[in-house]
Amino acid sequence: MIVLDVIADGLLAAVAAIGFGAISNPPRRAFKYIAALAAIGHATRFALMTYSGMDIASASFCASLTIGLVALWFGRLSHCPLTVLYIPALLPMIPGMYAYRSFYALIQLMQCINNYALSETYMHQLIVNATVTFSVVFLLAIGATLVLFIFPSKAYAMTRRKNYPEPPAPSSK
Amino acid sequence: MNNTPEQLKQIAEFIASYATCLLGAGVHTSRVLRNSTRIGDAFGVSIHMTTLSKTIVITILDKGNDNSHTEVAQIPALPISFEYNAELSALSWEIYDRHLPLEEVQKRYEEILARPRMSPKLVLLLVGFANASFCRLFGGDWGAVAIVFVATLLGFFTRQKMQQRHYNHFIVFTVSAFVASMVASVSLLFDCTPNIALGTSVLYLIPGVPLINGFIDIVEGHTLTGTSRLIQAFLLIICIAAGLSVPLLLFTKNLL
Repeated sequence: MIVLDVIADGLLAAVAAIGFGAISNPPRRAFKYIAALAAIGHATRFALMTYSGMDIASASFCASLTIGLVALWFGRLSHCPLTVLYIPALLPMIPGMYAYRSFYALIQLMQCINNYALSETYMHQLIVNATVTFSVVFLLAIGATLVLFIFPSKAYAMTRRKNYPEPPAPSSK
Repeated sequence: MNNTPEQLKQIAEFIASYATCLLGAGVHTSRVLRNSTRIGDAFGVSIHMTTLSKTIVITILDKGNDNSHTEVAQIPALPISFEYNAELSALSWEIYDRHLPLEEVQKRYEEILARPRMSPKLVLLLVGFANASFCRLFGGDWGAVAIVFVATLLGFFTRQKMQQRHYNHFIVFTVSAFVASMVASVSLLFDCTPNIALGTSVLYLIPGVPLINGFIDIVEGHTLTGTSRLIQAFLLIICIAAGLSVPLLLFTKNLL
């Protein structure tokens, strides 16, 4: 079932974003928005990669751009700066397995430096995996940050309130 | 607005403390500059700030009478806090919109800094679930998910305890990566996906916030602070790799 797979992917990403976000102490009110953004972003990437055969870097870029745009709306609802919402939501998309595989290839490479054929295989794996890791992280950051460039005045006034709860304190001057 | 030199000094000290607190808590540089400039506008002063990786230099210039004051302040090594980011940004708008007097501003600032962080036990549990679902996302089977959950709990617990005792954070990262990946290598004994379990067990340590902030800073032209954030993040990743390499070298040679 396509729909169920996409939803399951989104839910797992939401749990991951809440947990990894919690390390960085976000305001309580931001949690539901972070979870929703992570689910939207990761499910978008999953759907693009699985059903339209897009590569991981382009799909990550599309997903992080989506996260950035939705964060613009959520930011106004929650009065949180955009980065507070979208950085935790991007964390589940950091390609950890590619990072791990490049490191694994490095370790294996060290074990077979004298074997030319084998070391060439590992060197190849190392370069491929490291390149994917770097490109995906870079594109994730760029995709979400593009929103700051396209809508600067909106993006920078998220935490401004129209009405303040209590009247202003009397000025001493 | 005409501020006396005494007032100007107090404003400069407040803004320097505000800006270093934000930079230390993991806020990207252009937001810190904007927030500080906004507070400056509310007090009728213009802000000229240089940000380096551990220090800021800030000169404030009164728009009314051309008095100026310069502060140099250290950036403290605070734990990352999105709450500071959100609440201190909101404070800067409130100062701008309502022209709060400096005593009131300082009171609010202290209040925000004094707010308690999330309970460490709750964070520990959330991180455990997060890393376990991460393992599932990467295609680990349920056995691997369970092992990663336990590995993450133990690894993150180690990190919390070591951070409480203020160990050097490179050592903290190496040791917690070592603990988590050693526990995760239990998966080699069972019929599950050991590679995915080992690979995801250390991912809770990845310094995602400085990585993304570093790229944002570089794209926005704050190349110096951006690069220093990336270098810090990169060093931490090397520490994670060092911790992870122990079980890989000990146990996975026979996998070849």
